[in-house]
Amino acid sequence: MNNAQTEVKVKRETKNKIRVEFDRTPFWQRMKAKFINKNFLTKLIWAIFRYVILIGISYIILFPFFTKISSSFMGPEDFVDATVKLIPKNFTFDTYKYIFLENKYMQALGNTALLSVSAALLQTFVCAMIGYGLAKFKFRGNKILFLLVIFSMIIPHQTLQLSLFMKFRYFDVLGIIQLLGGGSSWFPWFNVTGGTTSINLTNTYIPLAMLSATGLAFKNGLYIFMMRQFYRGVPNELEESAYIDGSGIFKTFLKIILPLSIPMMITIFLFAFSWQWTDTFYTSLFFTRTSIVLMKNVIAIPESLNITYAGSNMYNAAIRNTCGLMIIAPLVVIYLFCQRYLIQGIERSGMTAD
Amino acid sequence: MNKEAEVKLVQTPAKKRKKRSHSLERKTARGGYLFTLPFIIGFIVIYLPVVFESFLYSVTTIERINAGESYQLIWAGLANYREALFSDPNYVQILTAGLRQLVLDVPAILIFSLFIAVLLNQKMVGRAAFRAIFFVPVILSTGLIAQIDTSNTSLMSYMSDTEGIGTNAAKSTSVAEIVSAMDIEYLFSNMKIGGGMAKYVSQILNNIYNIVNRSGVQMLIFLAGLQSISPAIYESCNVEGASAWETFWKITFPMISPMILVNFIYTIIDAFTSSTNSVMSYINQVYGEAGKDTLSVAMAWIYFAIVIVFVLLAAALMSAFVFYQRRD
Repeated sequence: MNNAQTEVKVKRETKNKIRVEFDRTPFWQRMKAKFINKNFLTKLIWAIFRYVILIGISYIILFPFFTKISSSFMGPEDFVDATVKLIPKNFTFDTYKYIFLENKYMQALGNTALLSVSAALLQTFVCAMIGYGLAKFKFRGNKILFLLVIFSMIIPHQTLQLSLFMKFRYFDVLGIIQLLGGGSSWFPWFNVTGGTTSINLTNTYIPLAMLSATGLAFKNGLYIFMMRQFYRGVPNELEESAYIDGSGIFKTFLKIILPLSIPMMITIFLFAFSWQWTDTFYTSLFFTRTSIVLMKNVIAIPESLNITYAGSNMYNAAIRNTCGLMIIAPLVVIYLFCQRYLIQGIERSGMTAD
Repeated sequence: MNKEAEVKLVQTPAKKRKKRSHSLERKTARGGYLFTLPFIIGFIVIYLPVVFESFLYSVTTIERINAGESYQLIWAGLANYREALFSDPNYVQILTAGLRQLVLDVPAILIFSLFIAVLLNQKMVGRAAFRAIFFVPVILSTGLIAQIDTSNTSLMSYMSDTEGIGTNAAKSTSVAEIVSAMDIEYLFSNMKIGGGMAKYVSQILNNIYNIVNRSGVQMLIFLAGLQSISPAIYESCNVEGASAWETFWKITFPMISPMILVNFIYTIIDAFTSSTNSVMSYINQVYGEAGKDTLSVAMAWIYFAIVIVFVLLAAALMSAFVFYQRRD
C-alpha cells in the first residue's frame, strides 16, 4: 500500500493538468527484454543465415560478369602479368573499339533488333490471344487444344531440327506451290527458278515470322500456358458487362482484356525478346549464309587484335567475352527497366497447375 | 381460341430463351476457335508435318537432286537406329552419361530453386534487389552467352585452380573451389552417410554456377506458386504454435507440390536445349557431318523417347503425391 503510493507521485501543477511520474524501467533493462530473448535471437540468426546465402549466390551470379567487364578493359600485356587480378593495369578501350569497327557490330545490332523486336511482339500478342481463347471460351476441343499446346512444348525443337530446316528449305503448303508449278511471277521475291516445286525460305525472316505468328516458336508453349493461367484469374463479369454494353468479342479483347494483362505481357515480351536476342539454334538453322549479319556473327576475334603471344589463349577468351558483353548490353538496359514488371507479372499470374 | 393464345404466351418466352442461349453458346464457341485459330493453323500446316517428317527422316536417307533444289527420300528402315545404337562408337556411351547427368541435375535444380524461392518470398530489406539479381541468368546467360561460356573450357583447363565458380572467369586465379570434396566428406563421415552422397553434393556445389543459371524460370514458377498460398493459412498455423519447419512441410510443401511437378517436367525439357547437354551437342556434331543428318534425327528420337518415358513414369508416380486445393 505504501509502496504503491511512493511509486506513483501525483503532482498537481495547475488546475487542469495532472502530471504523473512513473518509476520507469531503466533503459538497459528494457533493451535486454526486447533483444535478448529466444524469439528475437532465432529471428536474428535466420536473418544472418538468409543474407549470407543470398549474398553468396548473388556473388556467384554476378562475379562472372565482373570478371568479364574487368578483362574487357585489359590490354594484352595484362594477361601475362601475374600481379594483375581484377583491376587492369593497361586500361584500354581497344577491345571494344575493334569489335565495334571490325565485327560489323552495328549491322548485327540493327538486324537482330529488327528480328527480335518483331518476333517478340508477334509472339506476345499471338500467345495472349491463344491463351485468352483457351481460358475464356468453352468450345469443343478446348481441352484437346490445350494438351496440344503442352505437346508442342515438350517435344524439343532440337529433335525436329532437320525437319524444320527441310520444311523451310523446300517450303510448300499442302502442295499449293507445286500446283502453281513454281509460279515465279507470283512470288518474284522468293527467287524461284523455273521448274522447281518449292520455295527456299532459309536466309529470310519468314520462317521465324511464321513460327511466331502461329505460336510455335521457342518456348511459346510456356507463354501460352502462362497467359492462360493469368486469364483464368480474370473475373468473367468484366467481359460480360462489356458484352451487355454492345462490345464485340475482339473489341472487348483489345479494349478491356489486353490493357489488363500488360504486366504479364511485358514479362512474356521480355522472355521472348531476350531469348530471341541471344538465340543460336534458330539463327544458325535458318540463316546459313553470312550475308545477313546477326549477333552470332559478332563473336569473332577482330583482325587487329589477333596476335600470338604467351597469353593469347586467355586474351582471345577475354575478347570473346567482350563480344558477349556487347551483345547483352541492350538487354541489360531493357532488363533494368522491365525487371519490376517481370516479377509483378509472375506474381499476378497466380499459376495453379490444374 | 383462348387456350391457344395462352399456349402461345407460355411457349414464346421459353422458345426465345432457348434460341438465345444456343446462339450465345455458338458465339462463344466461334470466339474460342477464332482466338486459337493461329495455333490450330500452325499446328496442322507446320507442326504436325514437321513432327511426322522428322519420324520419316529417321527411317530414310536424304539424297539431294537437281543441284540441291529438291530432294529424294530413300527408305532405309531401321538402319539409322541400328547404326546409332550398335555401330556408332560414341553414342551409347554419351547417351548413358548424359542420362545419368540429367538424373543427378534435375533434383539439384528443383531443390535449389524451391529453396531460393522460399527465401525470396520472405519479407526483408533488399528483397527487390535480390530478386532482380537472381533473375539475371534467365535473361542474360542463355544462348550465345552460354555458348561463349562453354567455349571457355580451354581457358579453364589452363587455369586449373579456378574450378569452382570461375567457370567463365577470364581472370580469377585467386578463387579456389568454394567447398572442397574433403570438407564435405568430413561433414558426411560424421553423419554416417555414404561416400557416393558426399561426392554428389560436392559435385553439385562446385557446379553451382551451372545450377543457378539453369534454375531461373523454375524459381519464377515456384515464386508464383508461393504467392498464391493464402496468408490466412500461415496465420492460423502461427496461432496454433507451429514452428517454421513444421509450417514448411505441412503447408508450403503440399501447396507447392503441383508446381514441383510442373517444374520437374519443365527442367527436363529445358535440359534438352541447354548448352551443357552433352548428348545434344554430340547429335549436333553428327548433324553437321555430311550425309549423316538422318542418323542424327534417329539419335535425337532415341534420346527423346528414353527421356519422355522416364518423365511420364516419374510424373505418374509424383502425381499420386501432388495435392490440389479445391477452390470453388
